[in-house]
Amino acid sequence: VATPIGLDLDAFWSGLLAGADGLSAIERFATADLRVGRGGEIKKLPPVALGIRSRAAALLVAAAADLRARARLDAAPERVAVIVGTALGGVEELDHALADDRSARRALDGLYDSPAHALAGWLGARGPVLTVSSACASGATALGLGADLLREGAADLVVAGGYDILCRFVMRGFDALRSLARERVRPFDRRRTGLLLGEAAALVLLAREPDARGPRLGRLLGHGCASDASHVAAPDAEGRGLEAAIRAALAAGDVDAADLDFVSAHGTGTVLNDRIETAALRRVLGNRAGVVPVNSIKGALGHTMGAAATLEAIMCLLAGRDGWIPPTVGFEEPDPACDLDYVPGTCRAVRPRRMLSTSLGFGGCNAALVLEAIP
Amino acid sequence: VRPPGARVEAVGLLTGWGEGVAALPDEARAAARGRGVMPLPRPTLNGERFRRATRECLLGVVAVEAMLRDAGIDREAIRGPGTALVFVTAAAYGASNVEWLAGQAGTLHFPYTAPSVLPGEVAIEFGLRGPYVILIGGPTATVDGLWQVGRLLAGGQCERALVLAVETFAECKALWQRARWALPGPLVESAACALIGPGDIAPAYHATAAEAPLERAVTARAGRTLACAPLVALALARAAGSRTALVSGTWRGRTSAIELAIAGRPVLV
Repeated sequence: VATPIGLDLDAFWSGLLAGADGLSAIERFATADLRVGRGGEIKKLPPVALGIRSRAAALLVAAAADLRARARLDAAPERVAVIVGTALGGVEELDHALADDRSARRALDGLYDSPAHALAGWLGARGPVLTVSSACASGATALGLGADLLREGAADLVVAGGYDILCRFVMRGFDALRSLARERVRPFDRRRTGLLLGEAAALVLLAREPDARGPRLGRLLGHGCASDASHVAAPDAEGRGLEAAIRAALAAGDVDAADLDFVSAHGTGTVLNDRIETAALRRVLGNRAGVVPVNSIKGALGHTMGAAATLEAIMCLLAGRDGWIPPTVGFEEPDPACDLDYVPGTCRAVRPRRMLSTSLGFGGCNAALVLEAIP
Repeated sequence: VRPPGARVEAVGLLTGWGEGVAALPDEARAAARGRGVMPLPRPTLNGERFRRATRECLLGVVAVEAMLRDAGIDREAIRGPGTALVFVTAAAYGASNVEWLAGQAGTLHFPYTAPSVLPGEVAIEFGLRGPYVILIGGPTATVDGLWQVGRLLAGGQCERALVLAVETFAECKALWQRARWALPGPLVESAACALIGPGDIAPAYHATAAEAPLERAVTARAGRTLACAPLVALALARAAGSRTALVSGTWRGRTSAIELAIAGRPVLV
C-alpha cells in the first residue's frame, strides 16, 4: 500500500491501530481559493516511484513495490492479470496535456486506463489489464472481477486493487459541492459535517486457493454490486442499492449475515451517507445490529476514493490476522440516526473471522465484499 | 432450471454515420473524406431531469432506446433489479473533464466528470437496479464486459443484462489529433447497447486471442469506435442473420475475444 499514514503495509497497519491522523494542509497544489485546503496527502513518495511522470502511476508503483516485497509473482507473465479501480484515472495528466505539455504521450496518459497499463508494464504482467471506474466503489469491484478472472481460468495470478490521487481537479469539485469538512472528519458522529479527500494506492495479490504459495492474508468469499437508479451524485435515500450489493455478496460467498463478525463501512462522514449506510446495515444484520463492530477508517486517511475499498478490505484481513479492530477516528458523540457499534476511541481486541466491506460512489454505484481471515 | 449460457437478444446502434448498421458506409476512411472525427449530435430528450445531463449521457439513453426498438420490447421489460448494466468507454468522460478543467462549468457539473454518471443516468431513466459494472478501456474492455455479463447470468445474479458503450471525441479533438499515430482515423462517435439474455450456449471467452475477421470488418466499415466496436460487430452479425459471432477487441496491444449466440430477429406479423 501507499497511504498518507504509511508507505508500506506495516506502517499503514500500525498507524490505523494507533489512531493516526493522516490529514494535513495540502502542499502539492494551490488551495487558497477553496473553502477547504486539507486532505490525506502523501508528502513524499518512496524512491521507487520517483521519476514516474504520472502521480497516479507513481502511487500504483509504490504500492506494487510493497506488494512485491511480500509476495512473488510466481507465474508466467502472460498469466498475470492487473485490475485496478479508480475514480479519477489519469485526469491530472489531462490537465497537463491541456496546459503545458503538448506531447501525444501526455494526451494518452490522460485516459483513465493509462495508470493500470503503466502498472502492468512495471510489473512485467502481460495478461489482461482492466480498469474499473465505479467511482468510490471501484476498488471493491476490481477485487471481485479479479477473483472472477481466476475462476474463469483467464489468469493464474491477479494484482488487484485501487488508487486515486489528491489533485486540484477533485478538490475543486468536492469543495464546490460543499461536501468537505472544514474541521475533523467524524464518521457516524452526531457532529459530522462532511468528508476530506485523501490519496492512496492499495494492491493485493489474488490466486486460486490451490495455487497460493507463501503466507496468505485471507479469502475473498464473495462480491456483489448494484445500481441505485435514483440520483447521479447522492445515495439512494433508503440504501436499496447498497443493501442489494451486500446481499449479493453474501449470497455469492454462501455466507449468512448472522456469521459476520465485523463490518468495514464506507463511512464517509457525510450526514447522508452515514445515516443511509447505518439503516442498510441494520436491515442486513437484523438483531445482531449493534453487536457486530462497524468501523470507518476515513477519519484517519480521508476518503481515498478508488483506493478506499481495497484499503478497507486489507484492513479487515489484518484485523482477522492480528485480532485487533482499528477505531473509527473522529467518532465521539453518537447520533441517534447512527446507532451501531462504531468502535470508538481505541482499537479493540477482537479477532473477526468473516467480514463485510461496503462501498458507495457517484452514479449510484454500490459494492460489497465478503472476506474471511486466515488465522 | 437456469440456462447455462447467454444470448444476444438485440443491439441498438448509433454512430456518426447514422442509426443502425444500414447507415455504415462500405469504407469508413473513404467516406470520412479526411475528417478526423465523425460526430454524433446531442440528442433531444424532454424532461427537467435531463437539463444538466451531458451529451454523452443522452447518447447512452438513446442507445438503450434504439436497443429496445431492435428487441421489439418496451422499457418496462428491462426495469428493476433483474437487469444488470455493464458500461464501457475509453473516452466518453473526456468532454466533461475538459469542461471542468477549463473552469467554466457550474458546481453541479462536477459529478458528470465521473465516468460512472453516464450509466447512472441510464440506470435512473430505465430503472435498472441490478448488478452494475463500469469498465474503462477500448474494445478489449467491452469484450471483458460481455464475459462478465455471461458470468452474472450463469450465476443467477441477473435475468438479463445491458452492455452499453459510448464514445465521444469532438470536444477533445485536438488531443486525439496529437495521438493520431496510435489511432489512425476516422474516430467515429458511437453509442451502442446490447441486450443479453439467458441462453443454452455458454459464451466462450478468451482473455488473450487473435483478431477476429469481424473486428477488421468493423474498423473498415465503421472506423474507430473504440469501446463500441464489439457491439458494432454484434450488430453486423445480427443483421447478417448469424446465429453466433466471434467478437474480438484490440487495445493497447492486447486482443481479447468472446463467442456468443445471437437471437434471430423478431418476426413482425
